[in-house]
Amino acid sequence: MDPFATLGLPREYALDSELLERRYRDLQRALHPDRHVHATPAERRVALGKAVEVNEAYRVLKDDVRRAESLLALLGHAAKDSAADPELLLEVMELREALSEAKQARSLPRVRKLAAEVQALASTTRRELAATFGELPGDAAPAALVRPAALLSKLKYYKRFLDEVNVIEDDALSWIEAR
Amino acid sequence: MALLQISDPSARPTPIGIDLGTTNSLVAYVPLVGGPAMVRDCDNEALVPSVVTYKDDGSVVVGRAAKALAIEHPRDTISSVKRLMGRGADDPETQRLAPYRYATREGAVVKLAVAGDRVVTPIEVSAEILRELHQLAVDALGPVGGAVITVPAYFDDAQRQATRDAGRLAGLEVLRLLNEPTAAALAYGLDSKQNGTFAVYDLGGGTFDVTILQLDDGVFQVRSTGGDSQLGGDDMDRALAERLLAHVADEAAKADPGTVRAIMDGARAIKHALTERDAVDVELELPKGGALHARVTRAEFDALVRPLCERTGLACRRALRDAGLTPEQLDGVILVGGSTRVPCVRAYVRELFGKEPLDSIDPDQVVALGAAIQADLLAGSVQDEQVLLLDVLPLSLGIEAMGGVVEKILPRNTPIPAAAAQVFTTYAENQTGFVLHVVQGERETAEACRSLARFTLRGIPPMPAGLARLEVRFEVDADGLLHVSAKELTTGIEQQVEVKPSYGLSDEEVEQMLLDAYDHAESDVTVRALREQRVEAERIAVATRSALDQDAALIDGAERAEIEAKLAAVIEATRGDNHHVIASRIEELDHVSRNFAGRRMDRSIKQALAGQKLSDVERETAHAEGIDRHTGPRKDEE
Repeated sequence: MDPFATLGLPREYALDSELLERRYRDLQRALHPDRHVHATPAERRVALGKAVEVNEAYRVLKDDVRRAESLLALLGHAAKDSAADPELLLEVMELREALSEAKQARSLPRVRKLAAEVQALASTTRRELAATFGELPGDAAPAALVRPAALLSKLKYYKRFLDEVNVIEDDALSWIEAR
Repeated sequence: MALLQISDPSARPTPIGIDLGTTNSLVAYVPLVGGPAMVRDCDNEALVPSVVTYKDDGSVVVGRAAKALAIEHPRDTISSVKRLMGRGADDPETQRLAPYRYATREGAVVKLAVAGDRVVTPIEVSAEILRELHQLAVDALGPVGGAVITVPAYFDDAQRQATRDAGRLAGLEVLRLLNEPTAAALAYGLDSKQNGTFAVYDLGGGTFDVTILQLDDGVFQVRSTGGDSQLGGDDMDRALAERLLAHVADEAAKADPGTVRAIMDGARAIKHALTERDAVDVELELPKGGALHARVTRAEFDALVRPLCERTGLACRRALRDAGLTPEQLDGVILVGGSTRVPCVRAYVRELFGKEPLDSIDPDQVVALGAAIQADLLAGSVQDEQVLLLDVLPLSLGIEAMGGVVEKILPRNTPIPAAAAQVFTTYAENQTGFVLHVVQGERETAEACRSLARFTLRGIPPMPAGLARLEVRFEVDADGLLHVSAKELTTGIEQQVEVKPSYGLSDEEVEQMLLDAYDHAESDVTVRALREQRVEAERIAVATRSALDQDAALIDGAERAEIEAKLAAVIEATRGDNHHVIASRIEELDHVSRNFAGRRMDRSIKQALAGQKLSDVERETAHAEGIDRHTGPRKDEE
């Protein structure tokens, strides 16, 4: 599936998010099941299938990691993660340690401070990724895809960290109940 | 005017919107002229207490009359049944401070023993409430068409299935299950015609929901949703009742269901009184003799309720985070649910979001009014092209993988309808079966999530570990209901398994319950099936003709003739009295209409992407592209 084509958007990482939203809404206005309540079963089925496809494409393009993955795949990059940079691994390991200490201490402020740090790192990586993708020609050689793939795996580490923060914040619900 | 409308036998049945609440339920509709309105009973009351009493003689009482019987018949009067919907009998929630007789302590469905030697499920109790609301609407409006029933956004699949089953059991045509906050936003949005991003804070009798959504020229797009399906005004009453029970010296009285019920009612009355006053002196006559004297101040009550507010706060923060927003970026906060009348809840919301919440529509009625609008959009006489609701899946759906870890297949806040597939493999040599465990929730282990269904896919030919390829496909429809199927890909023999969740009712069970409830003969069921098939056939005939009229340019003579022939066969079948024949003719018509339907949809997509007017696209399709280009798959899909 090419989510860019489904939503009628150019294949680029630095997406015009307003245009994405507008395309998404225009397509759902045409395809959503509520629009076909009075249609024939065949039309309802086709529309449902397309509405699902549009929702999925929208979900991929809204997510910076999945959008990059999809773009790399469309450019012909094999779906393997490149080997992680040892320096990055060390950095992430230290951050994780700090996170698990903050969690042990049940300190939401400390958890949130770490999250803000990683958020900033992720933003920088995202900018680098956009710049790198922006310079790629449409028929990029496999070697040219190594750098965006490395940046993507870095972004994934940060996102995974932030996911963990989210789980901790959700668990905080039970800290209150336990009080 | 109104009287004429009611007695007109040719009048189109009115679609209705139902708010099936924990404490109270309501029904609303959209009149021919003007905005949505509540259906009221002969005492001009819109609220129907969600209370059902089963009497010794087998009769059933619903609403205010049932509420009046509660103290006298505490075990046969079921209130707050919504909290038991979709719950297992062994669920801790089931056992909390409720005076009922549980017929069983295990199994997928709660069963309550009530008067007249009956055992009822929460689905049946809810169906009684829905029947009452339906009757109320029929008395006020005449014939009633399909219904939209609201559910808390945070309801899981089991709770949604149970609600839909209750609707079917009550004999309603359920057009849609609609999330309560989305319904409320619809009522507000159409009222104010405002664009922007809003939070809907919905604290009802038994559930809390928060939804962040964006309004943009009639499109209501839910960004994220969160909440707690076991948190509401009931919990405030309970917290206060526990405090009051401490004042009762007699240990035997504390365990008496009638006393517990009386104190719960007293607590609720105190809560209501404290919205206007700073302190209340309580004098409660207890059913087993004696009285309770206490003084409750607003400050004391606020302290009891504060932890509940804080639980809502975390859910709100998470929903904002999921939507990628801060409180400052919101244009407004909408209050929904009777419990938002409590002053300290309002103060908390103001503090949390940093703005004065909106409450211009009655928080008890706003959900039903929104549901009525949606019912009218789906089945009403006027099709509003502008309004559309885009909702999301509230809780992640996944499969239990090796080691009890959940593999998420569809994460929470995925826009619906949605579908996703995941491929699993075998871990043992010559393994011939897969056990699949479908779960819902955010926790990482299957044990901590809600278990939805377990099923086994058998008949896989023996092969080395890791070779088999099992594809599990999840589909979530626009009601937020899950359908799971699975197939083994390598063998060439594709196996398809439709999963029926263990807590749901099969069509046969619903049919049987209807038979039991009404003592219908089997022929009545056949008559009903025939009537329903005829209506369906008529509907399809109208839709097919209108498609052929609109899009003559998209179809050639031979295909058109084929569709018309099958259509004629459907019409002919409706004159007979065999509903199976009608169904199979509809199937045949459906089969020959597929390509035409596909081309029509491709044309709509093109039009949506280009933002063109219909007439322009028609010209383009007729002249530039012809028909053949539309029969194959679009290039960009390959």
